[in-house]
Amino acid sequence: MIHQRLQSFLQSRRCTLLGVGPMSVNCVDATVELANEHEVPILMIASRRQIDSEEFGGGYVNNWSTQEFARYVTDKDKKGKILLARDHGGPWQSTKEKDAKLGLRRAMDSAKSSYRADISAGFQVLHIDPSVDIYGQPDVDEVLDRVFDLYDYCWAQAQQSRQEIIFEVGTEEQSGSTNSQEELDYILNAIKKFCTQSKIPQPTFVVIQCGTRVMEMRNVGSFDSPVRVANEIPAEIQLPKMIEICNRHGILMKEHNTDYLSDDALQWHPRLGIHAANVAPEFGVAESKALVNILEVSGLAHLADRFLKIAFDSNKWEKWMIDNTSATDRDRSLIAGHYVFSSPMCIELKIEAAKELAKKGLDLELHLKEQVKQSILRYFRNFRLLRTV
Amino acid sequence: MKRVATIILNRNLPVVTDRLYEHLAKFDGDLTDIFVVEAGSDSNILSKYCTWYAKSPDVMKNGLRYGRGMNFGLLQLFNEGKFEKYDTFFLLTNDTEFKDVSTLAPLVHLLDKHPHVGILSPCSERWGERLLLDKEHTKYFWFIHNNAYLLRREFIEMICDKEHPDIMGFLFDGSNFRGYGCEHELVAKAYANDWAAAITTDVWVAENESHLLENADQIKTQGYEENLQLYLDEGRHWMRKKYGFNSHWSMQQYVKSFYDKFFEFHPECLKHKV
Repeated sequence: MIHQRLQSFLQSRRCTLLGVGPMSVNCVDATVELANEHEVPILMIASRRQIDSEEFGGGYVNNWSTQEFARYVTDKDKKGKILLARDHGGPWQSTKEKDAKLGLRRAMDSAKSSYRADISAGFQVLHIDPSVDIYGQPDVDEVLDRVFDLYDYCWAQAQQSRQEIIFEVGTEEQSGSTNSQEELDYILNAIKKFCTQSKIPQPTFVVIQCGTRVMEMRNVGSFDSPVRVANEIPAEIQLPKMIEICNRHGILMKEHNTDYLSDDALQWHPRLGIHAANVAPEFGVAESKALVNILEVSGLAHLADRFLKIAFDSNKWEKWMIDNTSATDRDRSLIAGHYVFSSPMCIELKIEAAKELAKKGLDLELHLKEQVKQSILRYFRNFRLLRTV
Repeated sequence: MKRVATIILNRNLPVVTDRLYEHLAKFDGDLTDIFVVEAGSDSNILSKYCTWYAKSPDVMKNGLRYGRGMNFGLLQLFNEGKFEKYDTFFLLTNDTEFKDVSTLAPLVHLLDKHPHVGILSPCSERWGERLLLDKEHTKYFWFIHNNAYLLRREFIEMICDKEHPDIMGFLFDGSNFRGYGCEHELVAKAYANDWAAAITTDVWVAENESHLLENADQIKTQGYEENLQLYLDEGRHWMRKKYGFNSHWSMQQYVKSFYDKFFEFHPECLKHKV
């Protein structure tokens, strides 16, 4: 049903579906409200670092466990427009599994445990991504074996609890470069064979590297680049071929790392036949920028500085930086802002800020939510998700 | 009679140009005549192999760039009655670099082997396209972004403006000065006229951007970033004005539609399709 619903929505709208990362409570609220207001199905794509089960200590977004997050969203989602989705589930996708240096079998068991919590919480879309291995780079057949193991497990769990789930596959890494056509064909054929033999529905989505890559606060991949990006197949060549392969296999193509693409690039997504696209950090950064801005223009620069310092000191910006970057400390703080929204220091700061702003007749959280909404609406507009009269 | 006419476009970088000339003379001298276009270079620093010197006030001030520069060279050959003597034309900017082996012998051999190919481009080790040319070294593409093309004479003859030959429109559309989008147009014209455009890894090419990055003043051009912005702005304006396309993706779709059509009529070429 979920698969058919999405297919039929895509066909009738000729649009690109949007996956939104739940970067913060405001981001979750904004997404749910927009999905309901515009009656558009949105995939809420939670990574294990953002949201995970209690067993793993939850995630950095509002310290929510999977169960708490799912309940929060489903309670708010009056029209049932949100599809709860696990983004990059799989072994070693949780920091805890990495830090504990789990061996393969335990990491797989741990991933299964996380998926079990997802299914039990009502997640409907599971991305099976066992491409991470802290002990080396597994070859494509090894990755496929792990995909089948996890796929089979999740399907059995869902069947037991009589829940409907759909799957996303694809060994994506944020390289911006490209899966080869042969490899994609090979993977999809192997998965098709596995699903037929196991009498399990085929995956709905496959992740394709389309030449998108997020660094700092921009997209540095080839998709939106007017000049060549070294060692990457130009998106002009890669995209049509990959879409052709996906269409031949009857599987929807999903792009990751879509953040910060230009309006022009986004407007071409539906036309090129990109079925779905994930956006995450851009919305977190939009909220951080909005927070700093409202504090600064309201004479609360000391609070803005405090927030920037908390974010900077978290070092969460590190993985996003370009080599030899010219980014300022402020840029780094804005990149890391959403990781610290739920830290006690930031919560305290926001309470103080909200009080001060309330005196001026401003509702801080409402303001932040509106700013995130504007950021999400850019995708609604460009992906043809808004109804035209 | 040599089969290839090589045209090298230079502006104020005689050492670099001479090096490229000598490389080609050494490794491919038996296959090609080499012509150097001086695009408004200062008269005291011309390449020692200068064939033609474009020095009108406008060219002295702004140079010629790829489109007008190649039009200028081809037009000279045309006006001198030499154009029809060559089978193919190898169009290069002076920052092109090749390996220390023959470049043209394998390229000419490939053109002979692929009678439908009108445009042939060597591949670069920095291009992702090389991943698509792993098993079969030569394939037909709808997108080739390069500054080193080998063009078949029959293809040029089919699309060039012989009636009003000038540097603004003999082959390339010189109204798009810096040329963003012009390579798409050339490829579209190829497929629209039943010619294919191929990339091969049998020959490797590199573009040494350091000359532009480090010698912008000497070349008398804008710095890299400014030049890039002008290249894009002018090209986008040109695309909108000429085709009504507001995005390079429209141009891509346009080229690809001709590409796909080509294979409908040449199923024997399907094995070379990307």
